[in-house]
Amino acid sequence: MKFLAKLAFAAAALAAGSASAQTYPNKPITMIVPFAAGGPTDVIARIVGENMSRTLGQQIVIENVAGAGGTTGTTRASTSANDGYTVMMGHMGTHGAAPALYPNLKYDPTKDFEPIGLAAGTPILIVAKKNFPAADLKAFVEYVKANGDKVNQAHAGVGSVSHSTGILLTSQIGTKTTQVPYTGTGPALNDLISGQVDILTDQIVNVAEQIRAGTIRAYAIATPARSPALPDIPTTKEAGLPGYEVSAWNAMFAAKGTSKDIVAKLNEALVKALDDETTKKRLLDLGAVLPSGEERTSAWLGTFVAKEVERWNPVLKASK
Amino acid sequence: MEALVANLSLGFSTALSLNNIGLCFIGCLVGTLIGVLPGVGPIATIAMLLPITFGIDPTGALIMLAGIYYGAQYGGSTTAILVNIPGEATSVVTVLDGHAMAKQGRAGVALGISAIGSFFAGCVATLVIAALGLPLTRLAQLFGPAEYFALMVMGLVFAMVLARGSLLKAFAMIVLGLVLSTIGTDLETGEERLTFGIQDLSDGLDFAVLAMGVFGFAEIIRNLENPEARDVVRGTIGRLLPNWSDLKQSAAPILRGTALGSILGILPGNGAVLGPFASYSVEKKLAKDPSRFGRGAIEGVAGPEAANNAGAQTAFIPLLTLGIPPNAVMALMVGAMTIHGIIPGPQVMTKNPQLFWGMIASMWVGNLMLLVINLPLVGLWVRLLKVPYRLLFPAILLFCCIGIYSINNSVEQVAFTAFFGLFGYALIKFGFEPAPMLLGFVLGKLMEEKLRQALILSRGSFATFVDRPISLGLLVVSVVLIVIALLPAISKSRDEVFTE
Amino acid sequence: MRRASPIRSPQDAGAGVFLIALAALSLWQTADLALGTLRAFGPGMLPRALAVLLGSAGLGLIVMSFIKEGSALERWSVRGPFFILGSILLFSLTIRSVGLVVAGPLTMLVGAYASPEFRFKESAIFAVILTTACIILFNVILRLPIPILRGF
Repeated sequence: MKFLAKLAFAAAALAAGSASAQTYPNKPITMIVPFAAGGPTDVIARIVGENMSRTLGQQIVIENVAGAGGTTGTTRASTSANDGYTVMMGHMGTHGAAPALYPNLKYDPTKDFEPIGLAAGTPILIVAKKNFPAADLKAFVEYVKANGDKVNQAHAGVGSVSHSTGILLTSQIGTKTTQVPYTGTGPALNDLISGQVDILTDQIVNVAEQIRAGTIRAYAIATPARSPALPDIPTTKEAGLPGYEVSAWNAMFAAKGTSKDIVAKLNEALVKALDDETTKKRLLDLGAVLPSGEERTSAWLGTFVAKEVERWNPVLKASK
Repeated sequence: MEALVANLSLGFSTALSLNNIGLCFIGCLVGTLIGVLPGVGPIATIAMLLPITFGIDPTGALIMLAGIYYGAQYGGSTTAILVNIPGEATSVVTVLDGHAMAKQGRAGVALGISAIGSFFAGCVATLVIAALGLPLTRLAQLFGPAEYFALMVMGLVFAMVLARGSLLKAFAMIVLGLVLSTIGTDLETGEERLTFGIQDLSDGLDFAVLAMGVFGFAEIIRNLENPEARDVVRGTIGRLLPNWSDLKQSAAPILRGTALGSILGILPGNGAVLGPFASYSVEKKLAKDPSRFGRGAIEGVAGPEAANNAGAQTAFIPLLTLGIPPNAVMALMVGAMTIHGIIPGPQVMTKNPQLFWGMIASMWVGNLMLLVINLPLVGLWVRLLKVPYRLLFPAILLFCCIGIYSINNSVEQVAFTAFFGLFGYALIKFGFEPAPMLLGFVLGKLMEEKLRQALILSRGSFATFVDRPISLGLLVVSVVLIVIALLPAISKSRDEVFTE
Repeated sequence: MRRASPIRSPQDAGAGVFLIALAALSLWQTADLALGTLRAFGPGMLPRALAVLLGSAGLGLIVMSFIKEGSALERWSVRGPFFILGSILLFSLTIRSVGLVVAGPLTMLVGAYASPEFRFKESAIFAVILTTACIILFNVILRLPIPILRGF
């Protein structure tokens, strides 16, 4: 009983002094990850969050709220208190593709959040089963164009990164393939390795080891520069599909109306985490691309989100 | 063979370092703890413990997390036997005869045989992983969507065999489970189905919500209704550990369960859930007197428990050899590995032999620890049944609520569970058995996914299921099983109709 | 008594009606989903097909209830379901808004009242002890993000 009373007192004391930015943060911060634990966004959130906790002097507690392509957790973050004690790790899907995919979306990525900063991007790779009849990306594009719906294209579910980026790929090639939906990257990759399906676009962290082991074949990486994790894989620009540049970016957001000082404090902690040697190495080991210079500011993220929403809207709506 | 010995000795020298033994022990202990608490699953716990492992070397971290995983699998059976709540899909079958044994005052024997069966299965599965991991991976690769669908059909046939009492009612429950499994977002179009506009249902019902509702809460309500039924549970305790005749009776089921569980566990896409069901069906078919099943048959605990643990262990094969997680917990292990800078894939074995073999060796160590932790605890668990029910059930209630909440940090999930409690109560009142419904639910999701993938890949041709030899073989087995299962049941029910 | 009715197994008849009601509910909810074709399933194909199957099983049970002797309908109790389910709903209402410090004892006390053997003092003490244990177990040892106490 005594313990309980003490606990209640301590919690009340914490709750009372929460508003001021000078004392922020004086209790643990919850970071909503709108996906199940263990996925690429979750891993990035945990790596970055661990370092930020040390900078801020308060623990960042990861709360996984999965569902509906990440929109369930994002909706919760958009309606949470804007006192800076609830932030979220959003990504390309929740803050770029979602408005085009979910007509009843309960938030607006451009209006309902205060952008904090970009955390990391994970490059997208174009991969195929190992005996796919194309020697390079040019031949790949020709083959897919010529065979259209005879090609089986796997994706990890409507709204997933592989789904959106896959549609972007075929729309740029100018054809429609047969879409084979899976529930998650694991099963999709499994059927790609065993040759049940033909092609897939997915994040580097999911496919890098398979490419190195030669169980699947990579045609190009959709970033401006090659990745140090897979130096032999050409960029889409080098290989002849320059328009296809896309990355599954992850960024931190707070609810609309969170004070500027708090956002600045969080951005500062995030940037510090990205500069920390251990954290940086952990992220680079995943094949992630870290933002530099201007890309690290909150303002840049704000305009970037608006551009992403613009970009995905026509592509994804046309595919429906 | 020499290579195997060399590899295993490398593994054991890693796993038996003082540090790693300690981590393995902590993992198994925490795992048993969360497994015993109804509803709190390994997923939430491993996710939360991930940051703590930052400071530990990757091998030790993974050994600990793996310990949590199989500890939880094991602990789940304890809850299933004592309070009739299956914490995971794999312990649904244990509820049937395990809890019936508890009601007869044989809770200790049920817990004991489950510990022994699990230990044996774990040891064999560890050897299987070490010796046959690679070739078995190739076997699993032969399974495409069509084969998978055929396997799920076989699973549903098992569910029919599980049935006690009216076959028509069991069939209705399986179909009901299948209907419930279609709740959520459509795989291809992303349209919402049967969600009643509730956002929390858009990814479908969670297994724990359904299981906790229809087994846990409905059971509590029923127990409050007829105090005699539950008093039996705490009336007598009986022998604490299985005796020689129990062991003799269980030996063959444990062997068969281990074999079934090991094979099904390797299949990608959570084949491990089929293991216990398959084992139960086989034991019931082989038994001289199948009517004992569901009324406290020790074979119905020993076989499925062995299958459960064997499957939980061989489920590591696709992860370790291919880097592909077969279920949600393994997906989390992938996350744990990536956080530590090891990206799972086919090369882990050659690049990090110490991690690979160390983990395999630690599984055996972990199994031994589970036995050491749990056998002495049997007495404690059984004594728990002595707590007056008026105090015990509110505690179960609270643990269940916290557990459900922790799955996705969602209050809506908790409310759904209350709804399914009422639903389960209605089922009981209408004389339905909930176990086949849960199996239908578990298999339904995979089945629809695989059926539709197979049809997309074959461009709509059903011939794909008979053209492919493995799929054809599985379907033929299913048909044969149905015939065997239905024939006596049909003739028996006819007899009943006419004798009355 | 029961002989007066042509239904020889009221429990099965009730079960059949229950299943048909569930089938109707799912058919109604999936009414506007595309069925697709047998070769290319739409989103509505499986749920609707299964609902029809469920309804037929219900019909079968009703038919059987006229033929085969069976059990009577059981009485539904009110106190148990009401307080058990009510306590769970209270938990879901209070855990995020107030926290475990309140939700824990509340759930246990309201739930405990479902039993006719309810004794307030004993249950209250037990509820406080267990809630404290839960906070130590879940928040401190397992580190799950369960709200303990939120603003007042």
